[in-house]
Amino acid sequence: MSIPARLNEVLNELPAIQARPAGARRVRVDVAPQGLPALLELLKGRLGFIHLSAISCVDWIEDGQFELVYHVWSHEMKLLVSCHVRIAREPGVYVSVHDIHEPAGFFERDIHEMFGVHFDGAPSMEKFILTSWEGPPPMRKDFNTRKHVEETFEWVDYRPDWLKDIERKGGGIES
Amino acid sequence: MTTPQVPDPATLAPSEEYDLYFGPNHPGIEGNYSVRVRLKGDVICQAVADGGYLHRGFEKIMEDRLWVQNIALVPRICVPDPVPMEESYARAVEMIGGLEVPLRAQWIRVLMLELSRICAHLFTFGGNAATIGLYTNMFWGVTMRDLFLDIFEEITGARIYHIYITPGGVRRDLPEGVLERIEALLVELEERMPQFEDLFFNNAVVIDRATGTGRMSAEEALAWGVTGPNLRATGVASDVRRDDPYLVYPQVDFDIVTETGGDALARMMVRKGEVVQAVKIVRQAIAALRKVGGPVRCELPNPLAWDLPAGDAYARTESSKGELGFYIVSNGGPRPYRVHVRGASSMHAVQVLEKLLVGSRIEDVAQIMFSLDACPPEVDR
Amino acid sequence: MTDKPLKSHVRPPQDTMPGGAGQGCPAPDAQTRSIWRRIMDDFADHCRARSLFVLHYCTGCGAIELPPTITSRFDMERVGITPMVTPRQADILLITGYLSLKTLKRVILSYEQMQGPKYVLGFGSCTINGGMYWNSYATMKRLDQYIPTDLFIAGCMPRPEAVQQVLLKLIEDIDAGRANAWQDYYRNYDFYLGNQQRLFGAGWNTPTDVIGEARHYGYYGPGTEGEHTRLLAEGGGSAARLAHAEYPSTALTGRIKS
Ligand code: SF4
Repeated sequence: MSIPARLNEVLNELPAIQARPAGARRVRVDVAPQGLPALLELLKGRLGFIHLSAISCVDWIEDGQFELVYHVWSHEMKLLVSCHVRIAREPGVYVSVHDIHEPAGFFERDIHEMFGVHFDGAPSMEKFILTSWEGPPPMRKDFNTRKHVEETFEWVDYRPDWLKDIERKGGGIES
Repeated sequence: MTTPQVPDPATLAPSEEYDLYFGPNHPGIEGNYSVRVRLKGDVICQAVADGGYLHRGFEKIMEDRLWVQNIALVPRICVPDPVPMEESYARAVEMIGGLEVPLRAQWIRVLMLELSRICAHLFTFGGNAATIGLYTNMFWGVTMRDLFLDIFEEITGARIYHIYITPGGVRRDLPEGVLERIEALLVELEERMPQFEDLFFNNAVVIDRATGTGRMSAEEALAWGVTGPNLRATGVASDVRRDDPYLVYPQVDFDIVTETGGDALARMMVRKGEVVQAVKIVRQAIAALRKVGGPVRCELPNPLAWDLPAGDAYARTESSKGELGFYIVSNGGPRPYRVHVRGASSMHAVQVLEKLLVGSRIEDVAQIMFSLDACPPEVDR
Repeated sequence: MTDKPLKSHVRPPQDTMPGGAGQGCPAPDAQTRSIWRRIMDDFADHCRARSLFVLHYCTGCGAIELPPTITSRFDMERVGITPMVTPRQADILLITGYLSLKTLKRVILSYEQMQGPKYVLGFGSCTINGGMYWNSYATMKRLDQYIPTDLFIAGCMPRPEAVQQVLLKLIEDIDAGRANAWQDYYRNYDFYLGNQQRLFGAGWNTPTDVIGEARHYGYYGPGTEGEHTRLLAEGGGSAARLAHAEYPSTALTGRIKS
């Protein structure tokens, strides 16, 4: 596994980029936040990375950072490049790449409501899924879903009083 | 929720345009989903998709569970086509953990994936026909699919959520004699295909209503990030099984079905062709399974104390709806640090749908949605 | 989820219920009905049990087992059950699995729009105790806290046979006059509303005037109004009345039992 020469050529044109192969038909690229739009643009224009497969967000709460991963695929090169950028968790603002890849609009909107990252220039930052939700962005690591559930919902009582009564008399469902 | 306001119609200015809520409680909508459309007469001038009715917070609750526990959780992300979910999760875990899947298990997985594709396409076929009033197709499609569910049940013990594909292989070997029964069923399906053809593709109603409905060009489809059968219906021969092959797909002989219409009819034709191809693949898998023996799972550590090495992986699978992606990050612990699911319909159920609906008629909303094969649960997750 | 009104509250004991002490017209219980009325009611139940319409609303993953149940293989129509597209004409609300909070709101609205007698079936373990998603922030855990539920089907997901089984059981119950959970919504509206308010905030309101309906049907009980319904009157009572005025009054009178 190695990085194809054509890709290497393009990557060398940009500053502060680290690339390494990450499995069959996978390349991982780490890039500084300000360099990402240029990188996506170059990959798209020169090597045919026209398909934005997904944008993933990872909350590295201990480092105080969000990691954004842009998975782009080239139908020509048959290669998936994952571009990793790290942005500060506070205030959690980044630029939209919607003008380069149209599908970005959906993923950025999703990340906005799940993590609270704001994307400047995105077509829509409105809520899509969590319109009934008023709590913090739920995918952040500091939101504890178990605790929230315990506080909000009640469970079925599997041993109600009448069953305990029966048990006291020697019956019941547990032998 | 704010107080519902009911304005007095007499006080409103006269307007040619009006809003209509299509779903979630609507027989024409696929699953639990909603589209708000603005109409002028019966022509749509704007559409806004509204999802989240099936949101369960999968990505969050998966962080809360062990690697093995999540196997049971993932198929639920997409209800009509659950096997690719299991496969993608398992493969992402294998990529991180460097697990080797035995050959026999790989063929079994291909078998399961293609059977699931047949099921999902039959279901969509029925649903799509129902949206234009052809209920016979729905009855036939759903019933045919049910026979395949029986096969699933025999292999895995469950009709819908099989929880069968695990990281490192499959849960258990195939039962005795199931290959013969699959073959018999395939023959039955093939006998049925001309009937489906007559009932649907040669039907004047279908040709009239589906031709040109929800049309997109290849350039548009590529720019909008459309994948799967919807992309192939515009003439682009792109298939994850071929481009980014997994399991034993490089050894499998199949054609990528394409059409050039880019409309609702072309999309259904692609699905029909894919069922034929899937039958072909299943036959090859059966032949291979007759020859290939050996274990169906690699050695795994104690599943309750299983720490995957730190790392990340992005697994892509061709589901019946398009490209399905699982991005998993492990920090070396017993649970995933982060799982991100790229639902196969996250493009064509939201942004693309909004675009395609503009200019179409209100009675075609359901048809367009079904012909795109939008799967709301994997959009909402 | 802003200010949660109450953690937990107690339902009034069931045996104080019939008669609706005080306001409204008293509900006739089995003892006080005339023979003629009893025959009519039994006959109505008998007929009702044989022609049931299921609201076509797929709320969760269990909905995938409904097409097989309805179509030719298992064919629910054999026992007189068929899908219906509008809540107002439907008898059965089938909650097919988990409900996200967003869907739960719609389900409650649909449920209130349905005309009595109406039946709710909880489908799958998610409706019983949260099921698979017990630790999910987005789904409700117990259906019977928000709307009264007649029967539950266990399983994840229940098979078509199980769905048929529960429908047959429902038919049997209706025939025997036992499927009366819907009356509980009127008698204990305060309890259900309180739980709904805990999730959706104190401003939660629906366009249906449930209390008025309770009076009309004769199921007004000591649990119908309480501290939660008072919030309703403070906040959005006007909307409830406004929407109520929209109903044609015939919509509420087509019942034999009253
Ligand atoms: S009980 Fe199982 S099948 Fe039913 S909604 Fe819940 S997870 Fe889905």
